[in-house]
Amino acid sequence: MEAFLEGVVRTATPLALAALGETVTERSGIINIGLEGSIIAGALGSVVGAAHGGVWAGFVFGAVCGLAVAAIFALFAVVLRADQIITGTAVTLLALGGTGTLYRLIYGSAGAALNTPTLNPAAIPFLSKIPVVGLALFAQPSITYVLYALIPVVSWWMYRTHAGLALRSVGENPAAAIAAGVRGKRVQFTAVLFGGALGGVSGATLVLAQAGTFVEGMSAGRGFIAIAIVVLGRWNPLGTVLAALIFGAASALQFYFQAIGTNLPYQLFLAFPYVLTLIALAATHGRVSAPAALGRQDLELE
Amino acid sequence: MKHFSFYGRKRTLTLSTGFHILVATSIIGCGKAVDHPQSTSKDFKVALVTTGSVSDQGWNAGAYRGLLRIRDSLGAHISNVQTQTPAEIDENFRQYGSQGYNLVFGHGFEYQDPAIRVAPSFPKTAFVITSGANTAPNVASVQFAFSDGAYLAGIVAGAVSHSGTIGTIGGTQLPPVVSAFRAFQAGARSVNPNVKVLSAYVGNWDDPSAAKEQALAQIARGADVIFQNADAAGLGVFQAARQSTGVRVIGSNSDQNAVAPEVTLGSVVIDLPRAMLMIARDVKDGTFTGHTYHLGDVEGVVLWRGNPTLSTEISPETQAKLASAKKALDAGQLKIPE
Repeated sequence: MEAFLEGVVRTATPLALAALGETVTERSGIINIGLEGSIIAGALGSVVGAAHGGVWAGFVFGAVCGLAVAAIFALFAVVLRADQIITGTAVTLLALGGTGTLYRLIYGSAGAALNTPTLNPAAIPFLSKIPVVGLALFAQPSITYVLYALIPVVSWWMYRTHAGLALRSVGENPAAAIAAGVRGKRVQFTAVLFGGALGGVSGATLVLAQAGTFVEGMSAGRGFIAIAIVVLGRWNPLGTVLAALIFGAASALQFYFQAIGTNLPYQLFLAFPYVLTLIALAATHGRVSAPAALGRQDLELE
Repeated sequence: MKHFSFYGRKRTLTLSTGFHILVATSIIGCGKAVDHPQSTSKDFKVALVTTGSVSDQGWNAGAYRGLLRIRDSLGAHISNVQTQTPAEIDENFRQYGSQGYNLVFGHGFEYQDPAIRVAPSFPKTAFVITSGANTAPNVASVQFAFSDGAYLAGIVAGAVSHSGTIGTIGGTQLPPVVSAFRAFQAGARSVNPNVKVLSAYVGNWDDPSAAKEQALAQIARGADVIFQNADAAGLGVFQAARQSTGVRVIGSNSDQNAVAPEVTLGSVVIDLPRAMLMIARDVKDGTFTGHTYHLGDVEGVVLWRGNPTLSTEISPETQAKLASAKKALDAGQLKIPE
């Protein structure tokens, strides 16, 4: 049971980081399909950063790489008002290919294998002794605790500050926001960069807290799953993290079912998290309201 | 063996690939081969098509080394392309056929049918599928008796396991992977009839994070030796073992003993360079025919290679059992369940 719960939190952590960033991006009215690109760029960046300055330098450089990829997206989608879906898809493809090429340029076709320093789980005294959930929640690599800290900070910022209000108003009613003096494009640009940086941290987590290696394409669709998680979490920071945990639980259940050995086809288990996401999305349909201006490219924002 | 990632957008890659080509292929969405500048001879041209990255330290990396060896030994002009989606395989083959390549390797089970479809249009090109059984006048297949090595690995796993539970983790359920795992299980049962074998598939070949979770789930169920056959994703299995106590891993396809020497008992190695060079020689000498090459332990192509760092963990009795099983295999007296 405890091993299962630990797996839930481990699987959810990178998803929650990426989805938290995308929540902020989408609240500004921009849907960044290029999130997958930020994640894979963050994964490669973290290997390079960690090789030169240790694990935390890896996270920082991962965030910078995720942000850089998001900046390309923002240039086209926010500044030039290109179609967000097409731009995001192009950015994802560019990043998946670009990271593979750079990886081989840097490390040769033999790759870097498992030589990247990694974060070991760090148990928090007392809290990790809580029955059942203690180890799962409080004996994780410290990047998970960074995520815990980000949830209230982002919530407070989004709902209790002027900047947060500006963000939400641009996503809901850009004309009114601009009339009130909000600089729409700047808000959207910053929101996209924030989402990209967290996407980069998510990719760095895959490498530095989990796999211990970079593998081409290792983001494995997590950027797209994170976008679904944002919907499931109703564009709300806490909701997003809870939705990530649900997805993490579905994945961990899948690992568990395969390990106990059943005669059912393994593909059923692999599909399980996705089926659950679909059901949850369908069940919350109608009660969910997306930011009103989400995905609109025809806005005059300045 | 290999595989398309489930959302498969992969990259053509050679050392000389330029960023502009990358961008072009990303947008167009089709693989574009880039010739290697180091090539020395224009007379003999050899290409390799893979479904996965050649930096996976396993199945695809071995084939790339084979391609380099063909260049170095036979002075061939070489080229390598990575297929991104199954629909592109025919096109990859046609590109090389129309450029007059003498030999094109399709590295994996997935390439069988496209080779049969495309080959009649390019009768001067030899197509070789490195995992399959289909043949045509200019299409040969290779069947690696990977099960030979997997059986020997099973003997080691069954003998070394203290818990009596061992695991297998594959990428996807391709027939060659399934039969390797069956052979592994048979090998383990031959030394410990009560051994319990857990089995899991990652669902793709390039998500090491998910593979690590599969391994941790098996370890939580008591598995203390895990045989991985998941290419690049399999690196996550080594990482899981490194972070657990007393867990050992057996590698696949390439010699993976150096990936994590402190936890790796050994690897089932396919000596792809040896096999590919053998076939390239046939093509160059004009003795190539469309048939199935059966290459295994006795040809020196599939081997069990123990990791010297952990050789003390394999007892002399187990070593003796390994040696006698190998002898029986080479003499054709040992039948491994398919």
